[in-house]
Amino acid sequence: MRPGIGDLTEPRQPKGTEPSEAELIERAKLGDAEAFQGLYDKHKRRVYSLCLRMTANTAEAEDLAQEAFLQLYRKIATFRGESAFSTWLHRLSVNVVLMHLRKKSLPVVSLEETTQGTEEDSPKRDFGADDVALAGSIDRMQLQRAVESLPPGYRMIFVLHDIEGYEHNEIAKIAGCSIGNSKSQLHKARMKLRDLLKMNRAEEAGKTRAG
Amino acid sequence: MNCVELQQSLAEVEDGSSLEQRAHLRACPACSALVNELNLIVAAAGELQAAEEPSPRVWNSIEFALRQEGLIRPQRPLVPSFSARWGAARWLVPMAAMLLLALGIYVRRESLPNQMAQQASVAVPAANSSDLNDADLMQEVVDNEPAMKTQYAENLRQVNESIRDAQGVVDESPNDEDARRSLMDAYQQKSMLFQMAMDRSLP
Repeated sequence: MRPGIGDLTEPRQPKGTEPSEAELIERAKLGDAEAFQGLYDKHKRRVYSLCLRMTANTAEAEDLAQEAFLQLYRKIATFRGESAFSTWLHRLSVNVVLMHLRKKSLPVVSLEETTQGTEEDSPKRDFGADDVALAGSIDRMQLQRAVESLPPGYRMIFVLHDIEGYEHNEIAKIAGCSIGNSKSQLHKARMKLRDLLKMNRAEEAGKTRAG
Repeated sequence: MNCVELQQSLAEVEDGSSLEQRAHLRACPACSALVNELNLIVAAAGELQAAEEPSPRVWNSIEFALRQEGLIRPQRPLVPSFSARWGAARWLVPMAAMLLLALGIYVRRESLPNQMAQQASVAVPAANSSDLNDADLMQEVVDNEPAMKTQYAENLRQVNESIRDAQGVVDESPNDEDARRSLMDAYQQKSMLFQMAMDRSLP
């Protein structure tokens, strides 16, 4: 089962070897440096991976992860525990990334969605005919590279839905688009990824034959 | 439903499980392969979650900012243990930094404006004398947290640069309040850097 957005923490250590998250939060509210670091260690991979997937840039992802944690720590005194801490942090991280993308004037949702679709996006009749098949499993690194190659709008929807587990209604709220738009973008993102992965496999097959 | 309609319908029913979709998929190997491949992509996507580790630079910068903003408060043990190598000298490094800072504050706040130029020039060797302790700081980092060496070296370089720049402005315009404040900030940052290194080295 894939983890949803309510389960965002790093794999847990055996009980008794480290303080609970609630304890870390209370200590962080008092300015305890170790508690801040403990919370960071628990969530850093998830937050950084999210930033990296959405920006496809290591330096930007590090800056954004840093900004997300700083915003979190500045507000931690107001955390009352009504919602899961990880959900709070995750939503905050998404907002930090979206603000960054907007500042860079990158479309959070592709503008082409406002039209009826372009020729490129129209369904193709010949799909799967002479293509390389994506049989078996998909290599994680290849998929990662393909996700990085997606246009920013497609990439954001794909990351939020298929990687991070957000629902379309949540994405629509976050990105400020319609639910239908989110669904349509996701489908196009997956189709684009399929093309990219196939091209990659075809290139590799060509190299093997040449070698 | 034809192939084009099926592909369009996948945006709404992603896994091809509606009655119409299933009817088409049974009769069309190409569309069936398409749906299988999209499902493979969705399954593989979950593995990308939380897969990457940020560099140590990220936490170091966060910690630095938290200390600057006063969100982290020092919580020292009452009786700290000392390493055999450093002994009591372990405390001299942050103390020297704090003394330097206190001296800087005293000199700049208490002096008359027309004496600033002379005192500012005296402060140059003070800043340089603090450089003598930079090696101690780096040694401490190397001993206790070698992974942070590069980041500390960079922070130290930046803060020394800030001190030099601010000192230069103060030398040129001794009555410039902003310049004096910048110099104090730079000294405070350096003091904080020493403090961070010493906190890390405590057991």
